Amino acid sequence: MKAHLACARMEFRVALTYRTSYLSSFVMMLLQIYLLTVVWSAFYDGRDEVDGVSLSTMTAYATLSTLQYTLVSPWRSSPIDQRVREGKVAVDLLRPIGFPGQMLAGQLGWASAAVPVLLVALPFALLIGAGQAPASTAAAVAYPLALIGALLVNQLLGLLLGMVSFWTLEVSGALMAYRFVAQFFSGALVPLWFMPGPVRAAAEWLPFQATAYTPAALYLGQVEGYGMAAALAVQGAWIVALGALAAFVWSRARHRVMSQGG
Amino acid sequence: MRALRGLRVYLLLAGAAFRAEFQYRGNLFINIIGGLFYQGVGLAFIWAVLDRFGQVGGWGLPEIAFLYGLRLTAHGLWLLPGHQLVHVDEVVIEGEYDRYLVRPVSPLVQLLTRRVRLSSLGDLAGGVVLLSIASASAPVDWTPGAVGFLLLAVLGGALVEGALQLAASALVFRMKKVSPIKFAIDMIFSDFGNYPLKIFGSAAGFGLTFVFPLAFVAYLPATVLLDREDELAVPAWLGWGAPAVGVLLMYAAYRFWERQTRHYESSGH
Repeated sequence: MKAHLACARMEFRVALTYRTSYLSSFVMMLLQIYLLTVVWSAFYDGRDEVDGVSLSTMTAYATLSTLQYTLVSPWRSSPIDQRVREGKVAVDLLRPIGFPGQMLAGQLGWASAAVPVLLVALPFALLIGAGQAPASTAAAVAYPLALIGALLVNQLLGLLLGMVSFWTLEVSGALMAYRFVAQFFSGALVPLWFMPGPVRAAAEWLPFQATAYTPAALYLGQVEGYGMAAALAVQGAWIVALGALAAFVWSRARHRVMSQGG
Repeated sequence: MRALRGLRVYLLLAGAAFRAEFQYRGNLFINIIGGLFYQGVGLAFIWAVLDRFGQVGGWGLPEIAFLYGLRLTAHGLWLLPGHQLVHVDEVVIEGEYDRYLVRPVSPLVQLLTRRVRLSSLGDLAGGVVLLSIASASAPVDWTPGAVGFLLLAVLGGALVEGALQLAASALVFRMKKVSPIKFAIDMIFSDFGNYPLKIFGSAAGFGLTFVFPLAFVAYLPATVLLDREDELAVPAWLGWGAPAVGVLLMYAAYRFWERQTRHYESSGH
């Protein structure tokens, strides 16, 4: 555990080193919130409610999901492809802790560098977009759980994707395509309740909704009662399934490790 | 004569960069797909929501797709020759710019041709396909004049985006790191440019026309072509004049770049 913490701390520092890109992510997040707020107001076009969802709930959803997305889905989904390409993976494998664990801990540390940005951005985000208190006590309790679940599902997806680079070295184009498919089906832009029927059905069967839609919808009370338990259970099921898959893929990938010039 | 020689050298260097890039065909294909998804997610968002809401600011899916296609084609057209400006930070910081100064070709030409990003072809192809499909279903009377204006508008849009990126890149000689500014500019073009400007209200609309000239890329030309001048807060001739604005801005940006290059300090390699 202590060793994993060290991995996380290391990557946290690496992320903080790039201060300007850090600053620009802050500005772009606020621009995104502004854009989504304006665009949703234009879509509503003076109506207070569409399909039982009020405009204020919708702008709060846009604000919350954009803030969440910065934390849960940073632009780097895994450090693995870079470490394989640069041959650093050889050093990682020599360390006395498991490789997937190291990578997960490192990535979590890297992603947590967004927390200070989010804290500073929060008042601005609420000013530009919209904030709402949790819909109920149950929502307030369920939200942190769902957020941790979202983080884990996304980390496992990133780990799986990163391990692909043991088979093919250059994955940046594929990663980019993946990133935008994942973003769309996560509900970070359009909540599932406004997706056209077949798209919604696809989104419900994919793991991505657990990374953005689930926590935001729980927080705003759009999923209530038994639905809450069901949503958390679906997240849990994805964590178990993806975790098992990652363990299996790793058992195959470790035999393919080829160190380049390290 | 000098301009002609400059063009010839540019084409020669760009051709070499193209051939270099074509050596990695598999990777090229995947990068084009990646670029298409990057531009596609915005369209997917608008399509999904319009499916439920029908219109935004009075514009339906055919009109929005036309606006989107115009914006994306202009973006691709600029990106193909201009992509390397993304690397201006490292070129200046790591002293690669020193090498440009001792060769008998304009440093800007050398910067633009240091590599090509063929994934820009994906943006351009995606834009052209979308624009063609949308042009057929959008309510535009396609006279030869209208088609000609559309082509000029695409070119003008590319120049407007290019002018802003070039001007921002020129700041590198004083600031050393400008990529965050350029990412923000790119984001405003790519994300804000897909919507009819009037939804942003009059203050932001004024700002996005006269301070940050986003309106000239696609919104103003699309509005006059779609015959929706009534919704404009500015006179319609400004819409018809959008391509000229692109030329003027690019000229100003080029002059700005030339002036700023005097502030280059070598990193001492």
